[in-house]
Amino acid sequence: MYENDKNLKFIGKDIPRKDTLAKITGEAMYTTDMVLPGMLHALVKVSPYASAKILSLDTSKAEALPGVRGVLTGAELDYKIGLYLVDKDVLAKKFVRHYGEGVAAVVADDLKIAQNAIDLIEVKYEPMKPVLNVKDALKKDAPVIHPDLGSYDYFEPCFTPKPGTNIANHTKTRKGDVEKAFANSDYIVEREYTNPAVQHVPMETHAAIVQWKVDNNIQIWSSAQSAFTVRNLMANSFKLPHSKIKVTIPNVGGGFGGKAGVGIEPLVACLSRKAGGRPVKFVASREEEFYMLPRRTGLVYNIKTGLSKEGKILGQKMSLYWDAGAYADYAVNVTRATGYSANGPYHIPDAWLDGYTIYTNLPYSTAYRGFGHVEFSWGLERHMDLCAQTMGIDPYEFRKLNMYKPGSTTITGEEITADSGNVRKCVETVKEAIGYGTLTAEEKQIEAKGKKIGKAMVTFKKAPAMPAFTGSTTTIRMNEDGTVNANLTLTEIGQGAYTAIAQIVAERLRIPYDDVNVTIYCDTEHDPYDWQTVASKGLFMSGNASIKAADDLLERVYKVASEVLRCDVIDLDHQDGKVFIKHHPKSFVTFAQVAVGYAYPNGNGVGGPILGVGSYIAQGLTNLEKTTGQGYPALDWTMGAHGVIVEADPESGEYTIKKIATAMDLGKVINLGCAKGQTFGAVVQGMGTGVCEGYIYDDQGKLMNPNFTDNKIPTSKDVPESLEFYPIETPQIDGPYGARGIGEPPMVSVASGIGNALKDALGVELLNLPIRSEDVWRAIADKENFNLKDYVTKK
Amino acid sequence: MKKISIKVNGEMYVREVADSRILLHFLREDLGLTAAKEGCGAGECGACTIFLNGRVVNSCLVLAAEADGSEIVTLENESKDGSLSDLQKFFQKHQAVQCGYCTAGMIMSVKELLLRNAKPSVEQIKDQIEGNFCRCTGYSQIIDAVLDASGQLDK
Amino acid sequence: MNFDFDYCAPQTETELLDLLATTKDAVLLAGGTDLIVNMRSGLKKPTTVVNFKKIAQCHQLEFDAKKGLVIGAGVTVNNLLENKVVKEKFPVLAEACHLLASHQLRNRATVIGNIVNASPSGDLPPVFLCLDASIKLVSKKGERVVSLKDFFLGVKKTVITKDEWAKEVIVPAASADAKGDYKKLTRIKGHDLSLLGVAVVKGKGFLAVSVNAAAPTPVLVGRYAADVSMETVLSDILAKISPIDDIRCSKKYRLFMAQKYAKDIMKELAL
Repeated sequence: MYENDKNLKFIGKDIPRKDTLAKITGEAMYTTDMVLPGMLHALVKVSPYASAKILSLDTSKAEALPGVRGVLTGAELDYKIGLYLVDKDVLAKKFVRHYGEGVAAVVADDLKIAQNAIDLIEVKYEPMKPVLNVKDALKKDAPVIHPDLGSYDYFEPCFTPKPGTNIANHTKTRKGDVEKAFANSDYIVEREYTNPAVQHVPMETHAAIVQWKVDNNIQIWSSAQSAFTVRNLMANSFKLPHSKIKVTIPNVGGGFGGKAGVGIEPLVACLSRKAGGRPVKFVASREEEFYMLPRRTGLVYNIKTGLSKEGKILGQKMSLYWDAGAYADYAVNVTRATGYSANGPYHIPDAWLDGYTIYTNLPYSTAYRGFGHVEFSWGLERHMDLCAQTMGIDPYEFRKLNMYKPGSTTITGEEITADSGNVRKCVETVKEAIGYGTLTAEEKQIEAKGKKIGKAMVTFKKAPAMPAFTGSTTTIRMNEDGTVNANLTLTEIGQGAYTAIAQIVAERLRIPYDDVNVTIYCDTEHDPYDWQTVASKGLFMSGNASIKAADDLLERVYKVASEVLRCDVIDLDHQDGKVFIKHHPKSFVTFAQVAVGYAYPNGNGVGGPILGVGSYIAQGLTNLEKTTGQGYPALDWTMGAHGVIVEADPESGEYTIKKIATAMDLGKVINLGCAKGQTFGAVVQGMGTGVCEGYIYDDQGKLMNPNFTDNKIPTSKDVPESLEFYPIETPQIDGPYGARGIGEPPMVSVASGIGNALKDALGVELLNLPIRSEDVWRAIADKENFNLKDYVTKK
Repeated sequence: MKKISIKVNGEMYVREVADSRILLHFLREDLGLTAAKEGCGAGECGACTIFLNGRVVNSCLVLAAEADGSEIVTLENESKDGSLSDLQKFFQKHQAVQCGYCTAGMIMSVKELLLRNAKPSVEQIKDQIEGNFCRCTGYSQIIDAVLDASGQLDK
Repeated sequence: MNFDFDYCAPQTETELLDLLATTKDAVLLAGGTDLIVNMRSGLKKPTTVVNFKKIAQCHQLEFDAKKGLVIGAGVTVNNLLENKVVKEKFPVLAEACHLLASHQLRNRATVIGNIVNASPSGDLPPVFLCLDASIKLVSKKGERVVSLKDFFLGVKKTVITKDEWAKEVIVPAASADAKGDYKKLTRIKGHDLSLLGVAVVKGKGFLAVSVNAAAPTPVLVGRYAADVSMETVLSDILAKISPIDDIRCSKKYRLFMAQKYAKDIMKELAL
């Protein structure tokens, strides 16, 4: 819905966010803040083992404790939960599959009593040998973590579980003939790269209050990202009509994918039912957020690239081994989504990709900002540098040679056009921003003092990962004074979506921004449907739905106005809250006059309360053909590049990130402050992945760092001296005002940019994340063992 | 149980609290002042930052009983008579807020800095808020807001 | 907190010492930045928590050319950091304070707490060890002054007996005006524990070196004549520290960084 409108009043402007006021005053209410009459409190007893048989579970002492209103174990909860692959129990039954998995839960008058009750629950386990990495999980004699995989429900058009193994899904992409391409190649470059699992770390941990009322009416208040998905999955699991379940989402203290699906809501619902229908609140502790709630997938990525003697990529074979942890619901889709994208914005004429979603006895995984792209980009962008090195070409020149341009095709056979976004311009922009290939006077001084400067450019590319038929809705009601209220269920989790929607509505209706109110709370009973708040699809989908809703509202206003003004609709226009006759501008009715019905002087009324509705569904997307992965998965491609400068100590490996410059082809800036905020936030979160974050387990699968003492996230002091943002605008023809999604893409490839910059500075070969100074120090020592020939076959 | 008298945002409160009551929980649950949040309960993240006798502290690591006789200021005190303070306005202007969960603690920390240092450097700002985790913004716009609030941002 | 305890706040030292002598299982509450964290995690479950900060004299922070620097048990890390005399006369101490935790935590955490916790990675002990500090312990039976180098017994273990109160830290006047630095290896630039820390302090006629997070206790590597050679210091470091591999850092890297930091600071001091 791009129109080349030069007179935009609100789109592209740096307008204060709609949700800020309540947040800077403390008025904004989050689920964790809520208290309800009669509310009880819940705690969960978790497994100390990564894999064990539950021999016995004695809750009698806990139940006898005064103030305890209910105790639950897995035995009485016969529900399976999941969106794509329904593989998770509400509480563990018979077996525990990861450290920190819930085995029992208590609801009590207060948390002190609940804690005492938890301590009184006696569980006897028979520990079993845990499967702690993907390679072990694939061994022939590996314990099968889900023996019942063959009986689980799953979304058949997109996924392929392998019952009897630990493979929850196998995604295949086949384009052309990769073996032939390798045969024609002058060089074959192959290497493997790994990422550990990491935590999302929303500042608000998962929280929910649920009341299971009489006649199975369930009210849920939750910190979830997606109200309707919570409702849908609850209805499916409990076999209840959707109309019985109401999900309300107040302000949310960050999501990043960790709250995308359903989390603790089913358990809290069962606890409320157990406690006779009283509202029950559960707030995860920070530790539980790490081990009981989901994390990001780990990845082992093997890339084999065939190159011509000019340095052109002829073929690429990609094997992605995703560590899903104990449950694979979202991880199967991470595998699918990277199955069409793990080549980045590089043209691969002949491609072969296998993505495996693999069960292990580690905390389970879900969506995380970037949806697999952060992980594979680590390997991919490091690998592109290795290819450049093989050819003796500068990494920038190598990328230029192979990057998408109009006429390139993706690995699922989709053609890249001039409207798809200009990744080349992004790379050129950041190249200049970091002074690639040169050193400034200041940088020379730093080098003179014995430190090393490293510079690198890396690319990113991301499309929303969502079902091909995803839909979103916006409704707009006109108030008595001509102001409007817009409702949607694209949860405001901090991304600024509601601000962008308000700008779009104000632009379309040509009324002041302040006259557009967007209801921040989401409620499945009052607000129209949206699938989920994920995938960087919100602005695109809800933006288009909002344009349609505004146009629908205008149509209704025009209809009344044409009747009142006795003219044809075609002769009407609107401005500043008035609908007027184009050739007689003084003949007009105001929005306020028609808002709830126009009244003639004698009292006769026409029209009626004005409501605009806009529904938008993704268009032209297809499920991917399961044996080849070919088809059209991408709503839009947001592409861009980071330029990274590091300063590193060649002795100790200590390093500082001096600058990260990001250029992103976002189609059209809707709100500059929001776009900047999304970009810098994503970049710093990506730095966390690069520098310091990651799960560490002992040899029995116990998580050793479920806290901020030993799982650090970037602080203000970790922010580079300079963060720069360069928006590039190649309009997306079907995006709202030409815009694309921007939430996730800038997080992708930050870590690889750091890795490549360190390679430039010190010549170190880093293959694993995160990159602590100790890892760099080790890599410095390993330099002498590095031999390009170990990775390259010359034909 | 302990009887405590405590001045919060200029108002006197006299309450009975359990000896083991955490000040953050007392403020949020007993007094209904929910601006300050619990992000970790272990003093690492700073979402619970409040003023205790003129200095910012992690209220998750203070016993309510210990706050007897003390003076507390929370974010709820920041706007007066229905209008925003200058600091709040700069946070709004620079979009220094995304999800908002760290905001109460962040504004309190920054306020303490500006009270003792009218023109803090970027380094001093980063130093002051290193104990206030923000997972959304990348801190950049928060730093801009503080620079602008202290009259140091070039237009 | 998910369990109960009695809280008491004696107003005088006598009251406090009586309490300590008669109460079983009492813990002292200073800044709470470790105690409350440990109680929350279930690591500590005392029956009585004793806040001594109502005792006026515990907030004493004074320098005297004879007595030296006296730091009361209630003095916070930021109190010390912001103190003019400390900045002037004990700049290395101020630097170590600055590297300790975050601003909010420093507003609560006490100097003495960082010492008596006896964490191997405490930030202040290396500097205090270099400055030849001692700690005054008082009980109903009397008082004793223990040199910091004899104070630590092991991980979280010190010479303090159950009925004793660590009342003040004393830095001798002879250590005033010493120069040097405290360098600390961390995983991020923001607040983190020391993975390995080195203090090197050069004063009137001495050079002292101390290392943390490299042994069960903070290690005073040596107090040398001011012109000690780099080689001596480096070989002593290797001889006296015994770091381990853990999730934070490897033994090898700790050994390497201990030497590197010592070298770096000694080079800075020579300039």
